[in-house]
Formats: sequence, structure tokens, C-alpha cells
Amino acid sequence: MKGFITLILVLISSLFSSLSFSLEQAEEIFKQLAPSLYQIRLIDKSSGEKSSIGSGFQISSDGIIATNYHVISAFARHPKKYRIEYLDYQGNKEELTLQSVDVINDLALVKRITDVEMPFFKLAEKVPIKGQELFSLGNPHDLGMIVVPGTYNGLKKESFNDRIHFTGSVNSGMSGGPVVNVESEVVGVNVATSGNQIGFLVPHDKLVHLYQSFLLAPPTNIEQQMSEQLSQNQYKLINTLLNSQWKSKVLENAIIPAIDVPFIRCWGDSNTDKSDALFFATVASCSLDENTYLSSNFFTGTIEMEFRYMQAKGLSANKFYHLYEQQIQGAAPNNKAAKEDVSEYQCHHDTVMPTNQTITNKSIFCTRGYKKFPQLFDILYLSASIDKKKQALVSHFTISGIEQSTALAFTRKFMESIAWK
Amino acid sequence: MEIIIEEISRGHKLICRHKLNKSSIHIGRGYQNDVILPDPHISPKHLSLAFNGEHWLIEDKNSLNGSYSEDGKTTIEQHIVNSGDTFSIGKSLIRIIYTDHPIEETVRLSTFENLINIMRHPAVLAFSILLFAIVSGYIFYLNKPTETTFTQFLLPVIGVSLMFATWPTSVALVSHLTKHEARVLTQLGMSFAFFNLLWISDIFNSIIKFNFSSNWPISDLYALVPIGLAFCLFWLNGYIGFHMTARRRIIVAAGMTLLFFGGNYLVKITNKPEFSARPHYDTTIMTPEFMFLPSSNVDKFILDSEKLFTKAQKEAAKKKGK
Repeated sequence: MKGFITLILVLISSLFSSLSFSLEQAEEIFKQLAPSLYQIRLIDKSSGEKSSIGSGFQISSDGIIATNYHVISAFARHPKKYRIEYLDYQGNKEELTLQSVDVINDLALVKRITDVEMPFFKLAEKVPIKGQELFSLGNPHDLGMIVVPGTYNGLKKESFNDRIHFTGSVNSGMSGGPVVNVESEVVGVNVATSGNQIGFLVPHDKLVHLYQSFLLAPPTNIEQQMSEQLSQNQYKLINTLLNSQWKSKVLENAIIPAIDVPFIRCWGDSNTDKSDALFFATVASCSLDENTYLSSNFFTGTIEMEFRYMQAKGLSANKFYHLYEQQIQGAAPNNKAAKEDVSEYQCHHDTVMPTNQTITNKSIFCTRGYKKFPQLFDILYLSASIDKKKQALVSHFTISGIEQSTALAFTRKFMESIAWK
Repeated sequence: MEIIIEEISRGHKLICRHKLNKSSIHIGRGYQNDVILPDPHISPKHLSLAFNGEHWLIEDKNSLNGSYSEDGKTTIEQHIVNSGDTFSIGKSLIRIIYTDHPIEETVRLSTFENLINIMRHPAVLAFSILLFAIVSGYIFYLNKPTETTFTQFLLPVIGVSLMFATWPTSVALVSHLTKHEARVLTQLGMSFAFFNLLWISDIFNSIIKFNFSSNWPISDLYALVPIGLAFCLFWLNGYIGFHMTARRRIIVAAGMTLLFFGGNYLVKITNKPEFSARPHYDTTIMTPEFMFLPSSNVDKFILDSEKLFTKAQKEAAKKKGK
């Protein structure tokens, strides 16, 4: 018994010592890095008060500071309304200028004016290993700079654009803050959280790439730069999808496509539990689990697909079709863009029978244009089968931030992969 | 010498007509008069008319409130009367007409009269209303997403039918109040026949929307059909319920149609938000047997969709300037 208690005591004390070691380490790191850490704030010019805050860190001796694009997005869109300001560890405030952005990876470079060589964060040269201890730095909820220890858990599998899965709390306001390893080298940038202890980071190589291309050729026009990045990303994404395998999947009596890529995730549901339903319905919906932040209510780069199969249970064909029609009303993309971002939707409908396919659909195609990025569109496609009296298949997709040629190529492939069994 | 004296309302509607064969006529509230008027503002001996061999002369008998020409300007003392002249005495109007007064041409009985008589027939009327009730019951059944029983329809169907019956009954009421024949059954029969025609036009509209792609503006043109039907209904309501000239009837019917559809349109454009983030598309689908036109292929659909991008781009560029 005595031996047992001693063992427990030894275990507890060793636990404490490792914890205190970790804390000491965190404190050391914080002290050493504090001069290169900033709170980044957007100041509303007319009221002179801050309208949003985030974190940032210096990555060069001449004053280049890295942060998230979403921290300064309001400035990128309305440069006349805001100015960007930093607040350093000594409480000094000064204006910053926007240098370059990577809207896809949610990164931005801003610059402070400095006459002297300043200390800065080193960017890591290699990727951390799973389980490695990392420290996230930032200023959550304007409470002051803090350091949060956590663990590296590899890249998020389901994302098209890489994100590090970090086990540790990343809170709002810490966005744009660096995440360092024990050598104080930056391995990622705080970007998002998914609740308790699940944080997401932009891998450091994205920042390295952004900084190096900035050194080579600084962008002349931020809007132009964003436009190119959005075009490139949609091209890469849609082509990855078009070149991946489209497997035929059976949904009751219908054949629907299943794109074999990890970043499109599917969910399903049916009404078999509702005994009083007049028709049987089952639905499979797939979507891309990420989006590109443009402004607080304007996200793009999303893909959603939905397939709904319905079968009448002892119902007249007329009534079935009447209820079926109600099912296809009011489809809308979840991209909540507003009047200043996009045009209204333009729609077209027709009855379509693909050659070599055993299905006739009423197909609807709608699109709206982006005001700031004239080559980009949101599209919505919806088709309803009209060739079976008591069975129906609704196939539907929406894609946001897509170019005309890729949009049409995807629509064609999608239309040709729907059929009856 | 024969003369006709008409009592008319302020709206020039005939109240009563007296034909007298005398050369001297007395008008007043007293019972000794030839024409007795009950208006309390008229004196017992108010007015007299006398034929002098050539003209009829009108003379006020020193009445309390006097006698005037219709416009109220000229006081009548000793005055030559022309056929068709109207005089104001007390609060009443009288018109004096000679037997040779010209009359309007006889109106030929319209062919509608036959149709109208058929619609008024109790069996036809019952059939119209029943058909209307069945269709509205069927629509109610189609819209109900759960199991339904017959008794569930009864109340809403009766409600809808009564609601639609208020239109013909109010037209009949108005014609009754304006001293026309009410003809309730005729109004009911005609209106319900038209309500049924509107159902049928709805079905045609769905078939057109279902069969034609949005390349054809045919469904926009079709919107004129219910407007035309409504105009016909208003015209017939007027024809049945009121005596008026053909031109006036057309103007009234057109006015009603404009009020009804224009009002609806006004409400629609007032409620329309400045910007809509949702797409507006046509969802009309019908069972396969209503598909009459051949379907397009994917190439054609993609080609048509391609045009939308230019349109959307233009739209996006347009509003940027503001």
C-alpha cells in the first residue's frame, strides 16, 4: 500500500514538473517574442473608434507584419472608410499600409514604418510532426496578448486548401496571430476555431510563398490580386473535381454521381420514420466543407450538391406532382451576398433529355455576376424528373465564385451523370 | 292637346310619367291639382301650364320656394316651354315632353341574350356553381400535404364558393339600388361560368409553362388571357345589371379591369424588394402526359445557359455605378 501511494505521489509530482516546465517555456517564448507581436485594429475614420481587431506578427526587420485577410478585409473593400493601425506591447499605435493579400489562404501582409532594424519572427523551414507541442499567440477579445499551448495534429484531411488541425483554443481576436514551435519559429497562423480545443491554422508555407512573391513583385492593385487568386482557385478546384472519378451511385431507383475526392463530404436523410408521409423521400447532400471569406456576409468558393428521390405511396399522380412541385420551389444558395456584391439572378428553364440517358428533366439554370470581380459568378442548377408518374428525382447543385467556362463544363458533366436505374 | 309630364330624380332617372289631354294643367301638392307631387317643399298650388294655341306657357303660382329652370338660374314666371325642358320645383325635378318628341332607336336584342338566358337556367346555374366547388375542392386536396377526408374539404369549399358569390350578388345589389332590375340569378350564373373559364385558362397556362422553355415569351403573353376574361365578365355584369350605352359599358368594364389588375400590379411592385438574393425561376411541372413538345438536349441547354452569363455580367456592371 505504501509503495502504491509513493508511486502516485511520484507520478503527480512528475506531472507538475512537466506542466511547470511547459509554463516556463511558454513564458520564455512570450517574453522573447512580445516586441514582434501586435494587435491589428481597423479604425473607423469618422468616429475614430476601432471597428474590428485581430492579431499580427512581424516577419521582417523592415516592418512587414503578417495577419489574416479577414482581419483587414473591411479595409480592402472600403479603404476610404477605415485605416489600419497596430498596437504594440508598449502601447504604441501607428498606422499600417496594406501590401499584399492571399484571399484563398486568408493571409495579408501589412507594413509599419521603421527606421531601425527590428526583431522579427523566423518562419520555420520544416513541417512539425504529429503530437509536437506548439504555442499559439494572440490577443483574444481585446484582453491582452496571451500564449496558448497546444498540439500539432496534422493537416485537416477534408480540406481542399490545407489547414493545420491544432488542438488548443483559438479565440476570436487571436486571428492572424502566429503559432510557433519550441524554437520560436512560426509554423502556422491562427485562422479559425471549431469549438472546444479545435483550432485551425494556415500552414507556414502559404505565408512563405506570399512573402516571397511579395519580395519578387509587390502587387500594384489588391483587388486585381484577389481577382486572380479567386480565378485560379476556382479553376484548380473545379478541374480537380472534373478530373476526379465520378462514380455512379444508386439512390433507390436513380443513378446519381459521387465525386471521389476527400474534400467533398456527403450526408443523408430520409422520411421512413414518418408513417403518415404521403410519399417516401430520401435525400443525399454533398458539399465542400470550406469557403473563401471575402467580407463578413460574402463568402465564396462553395460547392453544394443535393439529390432527392421521391416515390408516391398510394397517391394520385396529380397530387404527387403537385407536392413534388412544392419541393423544388425556393432553392437558393447559402452564399448570403448583398446588393453591393452581386447582381440579381438570371434564370433559364427547359425540358432536357440527355442523349444516351433514360431520364427527362425540367432543368433550371440561374447565375448572377460579381460586381467587383466581373469574371466570377454564382450558379445554381436544379432539375426535376418529369417522365415517371409516381417517382421523382430532384438533382441540384450550387457553386459560388466560378468562371463561365468551368461553370458550364461542370454543369454538362453533372447533367450527363444523372439517370434512372 | 296632349302633353307628358315626367317626375325625374336628380340623376335623371324616371320616377313617374303623366300623360294629360288638357289645355290647362295644374301642378302642386294639393289634391285638386292634375299632377300631385308629395315633396313638402312644393306649395299646394305651385305651377300651372297653359296652351295658348301655339305654345305651352309655364307660370309659377306665387309659390313659397319658386320654380326654376334646371340649372337653378332662371326664375320661371311666364315662360314658353320647349319639349324636353326640365324644371326644378321644391326639391323635385319635372320634365315636360310633347308627343312628337324624338325617341332613340330601338335596341336590337343581343345574341348574348340567349347565352344569358341559358346561364340563368337553374340547372345550368347549379352546374356552374357545383363545378366551381369541385375544382376548388380538388385544388384544396392537391395542396394538402397530409391524408385528407371528404369532410375536411366541405367548409373551405363552401367558404370559397360564398366568397366568390359575393361579387355577382353585390353587382345585383348595386343595380337594384340604382333602380335597375337586380337579376341575381343571371349575375350568379354568368359570374360562375367565368370563374370556371378562369380555372380552365389556369390549366392551359400551366401546360404552356411546362412545355415551353424560357426562350419563348409565350407565358408572358398568356398573362393577357385572364385580363381579357375579366374584362368580358365585367362587361357582361354591366350588360345584365345596368342600362347604358355600349361605349359607356366598355369604358366601365375597362376601368374595372384596370382597377383590379392595375391595383394588383401596383401592390406587387410596391412590395418588391430593391434587391433579391434569391433566384426566381419557373417551377411548373405536370405529370408526363401533359408533355407535348420534344425535349432539348444537353448541348442546347448549355448553349442557352451560356447567354445568361453575359446578361448577369451586364447586370452586375450596370448597378456598380449607381
